[in-house]
Amino acid sequence: MKINWSLVITGLVLAAALAWVLGKGFGRDPHEVPFMLTGKPAPAFTLERLDGAKGEAKLADFAGKPLILNFWSTWCGPCKIEHPVIEWGFGKFGDRVQFVGVVYQDSRENVDAFLRESPPKYAMLFDENGRAAVDYGLAGVPETYFITKDGKIRYKHVGPLDPSRLTQEIRALLEDAPK
Amino acid sequence: MKLLLLLALAAYAPQHAGTPITPELEAKAHTIGKTIRCAVCQGLSVADSPSPMAQSMMDRVRELVTEGKSEAEIHAYFVERYGEWILLEPKAEGFNLIVWVLPFVFVGLGLAVIARNTAVSEDARQAGPAPEAADDPYLKAVRDRVEKS
Amino acid sequence: MSASLVGQACILVALVAAAFGSVTAFVLTRRGDPRGHAFAVRAAVVFFCAMLAANLTMVSALVGFDFSVQYVAQVGSRATPLVFRIVSLWSALEGSILFWGLILSGYVAAFAWRYRKEEARFIPYAVGSMLAVGVFFAFLIAGPATPFTEVSPVPPDGPGPNPLLQNHILMVVHPPILYLGYVGMTVPFGVALGALVSGEFSERWMAPLRRWTMIGWGFLSCGIIIGAWWAYAVLGWGGYWAWDPVENASFLPWLTATAFIHATIVEERRHMLKAWTLSLALATFALTILGTFMTRSGVFNSVHSFTQSDIGPTFLVFIVLIVVVSAVLLALRSHLLVSTGRIQSAVSRDAAFFLNNLLFVALTFTVLLGTVYPLIAEAVRGVKVSVGEPYFNKMAVPMGITILFLMGVGPALPWGQATKQSLRQMWPSVSTAIVVVIFCVAYGYREPGALVTFALAGFAANITLREMFLPIRVRMREKKEPLLTALGESVRRAQRRMGGYVVHLGVITIFVAIAASQSYVTHAQATLKAGDTMQTQQYTLAFKEIVQGQEGNRRFVAAKVQVTSASGSTFELLPRVNYYPRSTDPIGSPAVHDTALGDLYLSLLAHDPAAQTVTLNTWFFPLVSWIWWSIPFFVIGTLISLWPVRARVQAPAPPPPRDAEGASA
Repeated sequence: MKINWSLVITGLVLAAALAWVLGKGFGRDPHEVPFMLTGKPAPAFTLERLDGAKGEAKLADFAGKPLILNFWSTWCGPCKIEHPVIEWGFGKFGDRVQFVGVVYQDSRENVDAFLRESPPKYAMLFDENGRAAVDYGLAGVPETYFITKDGKIRYKHVGPLDPSRLTQEIRALLEDAPK
Repeated sequence: MKLLLLLALAAYAPQHAGTPITPELEAKAHTIGKTIRCAVCQGLSVADSPSPMAQSMMDRVRELVTEGKSEAEIHAYFVERYGEWILLEPKAEGFNLIVWVLPFVFVGLGLAVIARNTAVSEDARQAGPAPEAADDPYLKAVRDRVEKS
Repeated sequence: MSASLVGQACILVALVAAAFGSVTAFVLTRRGDPRGHAFAVRAAVVFFCAMLAANLTMVSALVGFDFSVQYVAQVGSRATPLVFRIVSLWSALEGSILFWGLILSGYVAAFAWRYRKEEARFIPYAVGSMLAVGVFFAFLIAGPATPFTEVSPVPPDGPGPNPLLQNHILMVVHPPILYLGYVGMTVPFGVALGALVSGEFSERWMAPLRRWTMIGWGFLSCGIIIGAWWAYAVLGWGGYWAWDPVENASFLPWLTATAFIHATIVEERRHMLKAWTLSLALATFALTILGTFMTRSGVFNSVHSFTQSDIGPTFLVFIVLIVVVSAVLLALRSHLLVSTGRIQSAVSRDAAFFLNNLLFVALTFTVLLGTVYPLIAEAVRGVKVSVGEPYFNKMAVPMGITILFLMGVGPALPWGQATKQSLRQMWPSVSTAIVVVIFCVAYGYREPGALVTFALAGFAANITLREMFLPIRVRMREKKEPLLTALGESVRRAQRRMGGYVVHLGVITIFVAIAASQSYVTHAQATLKAGDTMQTQQYTLAFKEIVQGQEGNRRFVAAKVQVTSASGSTFELLPRVNYYPRSTDPIGSPAVHDTALGDLYLSLLAHDPAAQTVTLNTWFFPLVSWIWWSIPFFVIGTLISLWPVRARVQAPAPPPPRDAEGASA
C-alpha cells in the first residue's frame, strides 16, 4: 500500500504541537494578573487622609520603617471580612511595622459611614479615582503590599489575608529575608 | 473568586468622571485605551470596559496623554506594572513576531501553490479541459446575446 | 429508583450501543458482511433512544427539584421559573455535555436511518465513525463529566443557574442552535472518514457530505449571530464581538466549513481539490472539538467561560487522536485523491474559488494562532501575553474585505478563463460601487475602511442580484412565464446557486452593518441627577428617576430615561441592573431603542438611590441591528440549497448528467 509519509509526519507534528501547547496550559490560572513591581521601589503617592489627621499623606511620610499598604473598598465583600484581620495585625505588630489602609474607588458617604462605625486604628487614606491603585499595579481589591524599610515592594498579596499568612509575611518583612 | 466579586460589585461602585480634556486628547486617549487590557476584566480594553478598575486605568491614560506622553511611553508605564500581558496586542518583536509574520507566510505559500497550479502558457490553456459550463442554459443564452450586442 | 440511577443506566446503555455499533460496523463491513450496516443502524437508534431518555431524566429532575441529583443541586433552584429550569440543562458543564450527547445521537440516528437502504460501502463506515465519536461523549458523560452523581444528604434547595444565562431570552435559543451547528459537523467528519476507510471516491459520497455540512453550517451561522446578539443585549458594553476565545471557538469551524462548501463546488466542476475538500471536512470537526476544549478546559481566559472543569486532558487525547487518524487515513489514500484539473487562468471563477479557500483557511490559521498564542508564549518564553481585539481586527479586516471583493467578482467570472466580454459586463457593478462612494463622500461618511467596505458591498450586491434575476428575466421573456413560475423554475433548476446567493446577500448585509456600526459610533457617558439631560447623537436623554422592584425571582434597579428624538417623538428607556437571589452577581441589562438606521443603546453603569443619581453609558450604533436581521438570509438560503426536490423533478430533457440536487454555481 502506498503511503504518503509527508502527510503522516505533518499530522504527527501538528498533533504533537497541539498536545504540547495545550497540555502546558493545564494548571495555569488564566485569571491571574501578572505583577511586575516586586523588588522595585514603591511608587510615590499623595493621598487625602481619612483618619482624623487632616490634610494629605505622602509615601515619604512613612519612610524608615516597614510598611503594609492595604487597598480595600466598602463595596467589596472580602475586604470587610479581611478588615478585622488587618486590625489584629496592627495590634500585634503595630510597634514594628506601619499599617496604612487605602480606600480605593469609593463614595465619600459610604467610607465616612464605615469609618464612623469602626474608627480607623491606623492611617487611612482615600484613593478616590484609583490613581495610586494604577500606579501600584493593583488588579482588584483587597490587595496588600508589603514594603521594606528602604521603600521596596517585597511582596503583593492578592485577596483577603488570614492571620497566619499575615504573620508569616510580616515576619519575613521584618527579617527582610529574600523572598 | 475575588476578581469575580469585584466584577460583580462593579455596579455598586461609584464612578468618577475624569477631568475633562480636549476632544483631540480624548480621542488619542481612547485610541490608546483600546490597546490596554482592563486588569480585572477578561479581554476587554480599558476604553470599552465599564468596570471601575478600567475607569481608573483610563483616567491614568488621560493624564499621561495630557502630560504629552507618547503611546509607546504610556504602554511602557503599564507594562512596567502589569507586564506585557496588559497590552491587547503583542509587541511585534522577538518571539512575538510569529503572530505577526506567520499569517502572511501562510498566505504567501498558498498563493505560490495556487500559482503553480495555474497554467501560464497558451499551450497549457489549450491543453486543459474545455470549460464547457453546465450552467443554466437560459443563463448562458442571455450571456451570449449580451456578448454579441 | 432514583433519577441518578436511571440516568446512569441510560448513559451506560448509550455507551454500550455506540461501542457495539461502531465495532460491528467496521469489523463486519471489512469482511464484506452486510449485517455490519444493519447492526450499525440499529445501534445508532438505540444510542439515540438512550441519550434521549437520559436527557429527559435530567430535565424531569430539574423541573421537579430533585436535588438528589448532583447537577440539579448545582444549578437548580426552587425560585427559578419553569423555562429556565429546563434551560438549566445546558447552563453548566456536565449538563451541556449531556445535551451535546443528545444532539450527537440525534444526528447519528438521523443519518443512519436516512441511508439505511443505501448500499455504498462508505455508509456503514461513516455510521461507525460517528458512533465512535458517540463512544467518546458517552464515556465523558458516564465518567469524567457525569451529571448523575447522587448527592447525600439531599440539599433542600440549590443556587440556581448562572444569572447571565437566565437574564435574556436569547440564551434559551442560542446554545441549542449553536450546538446543532457544532455537533452537526460530526456527520461530515463521519462521511469523510467513511470514504477514506472504504477507499470509494465516487461521486456518491460527495452529496451527503455536502448536504450534511450545509445543515450544520446553517445552524452554526445562526448560532454565531445569535451569540453576538446576546452579547450585545446582555453584557452591556455595547459590543457584539470581542474576539474572545469562546467566540473564536465557534468562528473557527464556521470558517473551515464555509471554505469546504466553496471547495465542493470546485471539486464537482473541475475535479480538483478532492484531498483538500476532505481535509476541510476533517479539520472542521477537529476544530469543533478544539473549540470545546477551549471553552471547557479552564485553560483559556474568557468573557463567558461559564463552565470549567478537569475534563481537559480527556479532550486533549481525543483531539490528538482525531488529528492522527485523519492524517494517517489521508496519507493512505492520497494516491486516489490526485487532482485531474488545473486552473487555466488567474482571471477565472476557478481562481476566485481558490483564492476564497486560501483566505478562509488563512483566516482560520490566524484566528487559531492568535487564540492559542498566549499559551505558546507562556510555554516558550515563560511570559504572559494577551492577544485581543486590536490584533484580530488588524489581521481579519483586510482578509474580510478581500473575501467581500471575491464574493462580488467570483460569480461574475466564467469558469476556465475570463473573456473581455465577461469583464466588460462587470461595468454596471463597478459603477454601483462608484455611485456608493460618491454618495457616502457627499454625505460626509469618509472613513476609508468603511468606504471601501460600502463600495465593495455595493459591487458584490449588484452582481449577486444580477446573477439571481438574470435567469428569471430570461424565462419571463423567452418562455413567457409569469414572474412566480419563472422564479420557482429558476430556483428549482439551480437550487444551490440561488441558495448561495441569498446567503451572500446576508453576508453583504453583515459587512455593511459592521463597518457602519464600528466606524460611525457615537459614545457619551455622564452622571445625571433627576431632571438632568444629556445628548447622544440626535437624541436628548432626560433622567427622571430610579425605579426599583421585584420581578419573579429577581430584584431590579432601573433608571427611567425619557428620550426625545430629533423629530420630537418621545419614548422611555429603562436601562437596569438585575439582582438574582443567592448570587452576588448583579447583571446589567442595557436598554436598546432599535431602528433600521441605528440603535440607541443605554447601559446603567452606576446608581446611587440615596443621592438619586445615575451614571449612564450611552451609544448610538448606526445600522447595527442589520447584523441580526441577516439571520433570515442565512436560514432561507440554507433551506433553498437543501430543499429536497428529487421526488418532484423529472430528468431534464436533454440529459447532461447532472446532480439531482440542481446545477451548481
